[in-house]
Amino acid sequence: MTLRTLISASISRVAISLLLLTACSLEAGAQRFLKLEKDSIPLFRGFAVSFDLAGFAQLQLGDYGQYEGALRLNLHDQYFPIVELGIGRANHDDDEVTGITYKTTAPYFRIGADVNIMNNKHTGNRVFVGLRYGFTSYKVDVSHPVFDDPVWKWDSTFELTDQHCNQQWAEVVFGLDGKLFGPLHLGWSGRYKFRISNNDASLGSAWYVPGYGIQDSSVLGYTFYIAIDI
Amino acid sequence: MKHLVTAVLLLLLTAACSSIECPVKNTVACYYQVNDTLKDTLTIFSHRKNGSDTILLNQSQNPTSFKLPLSYQNGVDTLLFTTKRLAVTDTVWLYKNDMPHFESVDCGVAYFHEIKDVKYTRKGIDSIIIQKTFIDYDLTNPHLRIYFKSRD
Repeated sequence: MTLRTLISASISRVAISLLLLTACSLEAGAQRFLKLEKDSIPLFRGFAVSFDLAGFAQLQLGDYGQYEGALRLNLHDQYFPIVELGIGRANHDDDEVTGITYKTTAPYFRIGADVNIMNNKHTGNRVFVGLRYGFTSYKVDVSHPVFDDPVWKWDSTFELTDQHCNQQWAEVVFGLDGKLFGPLHLGWSGRYKFRISNNDASLGSAWYVPGYGIQDSSVLGYTFYIAIDI
Repeated sequence: MKHLVTAVLLLLLTAACSSIECPVKNTVACYYQVNDTLKDTLTIFSHRKNGSDTILLNQSQNPTSFKLPLSYQNGVDTLLFTTKRLAVTDTVWLYKNDMPHFESVDCGVAYFHEIKDVKYTRKGIDSIIIQKTFIDYDLTNPHLRIYFKSRD
């Protein structure tokens, strides 16, 4: 066996050992993080329903937004499987610069789970991290008033109606949830979104996607909700 | 609670930032490549709706390639190719399908096209070959290769 082979074997052993060590410590960390605490609190702690105030305000103040509610299951104040349902709507009428009108209204859903990462999980206040999977199937109408072709000056129209699109996406969630009084909670979540797949039909690119938001600026999202424990 | 409010405000400020991401290369044109160099001066024009002429290429000397706009919704574009040295005018009819294309409400309207056929007179033009039928923002490869008759 040559010296070079020996050195190579030693480096390989060290690298493999380090990898195993890292994997073990990560696994131990994950187990500790996800391990259900053993105490006298029962596993099933009830449900909570919530309503997103941020999307509602966005829809009232702007030309797109959503009505969104969620049903959250409380498992031992630690795990929170969640279903979020909403109706997203955009009614961008006659853009002041481009003159384009974009309309869509469609339901969407997200499913996922949050984990309460607070040390003392039973205080009623929670710090969440979680994941979501979202899906929507929607129709879009895009139009523009009659305009002159820039070169030939013939009357031109721009109309795409009933463009059947769909999108799947994922979200990484971080949130805070504070107990107000009685069963009432107030909370917010910040979300990092990324598209998994999309079909924009013959539209080109969708602009507002229900539940996901504006395509070109919605990598970050947020909710601000009021919830009530059931 | 104070921290919660601060965090919400920070998040709202972050989420309030938006950008307009229209494509930088947003010219839709038909890319003509001249086979060899045309040893002549070429002018291309067409007729507007009101009957007046619109010049699309103005006295290009010895062109090797050129890019011409397309009408948004005419099924056929009629183009007149005039050369100076060989004093002739050819008519080119470009048959196409027009497809509205949407990027964002901030980006304006665009049309992509699909070339169906090209017909032409043969006074100064020898032939035109379709190389690529789909016309969009991609102008890296020619759509049409045009062969002119010899000027020697």
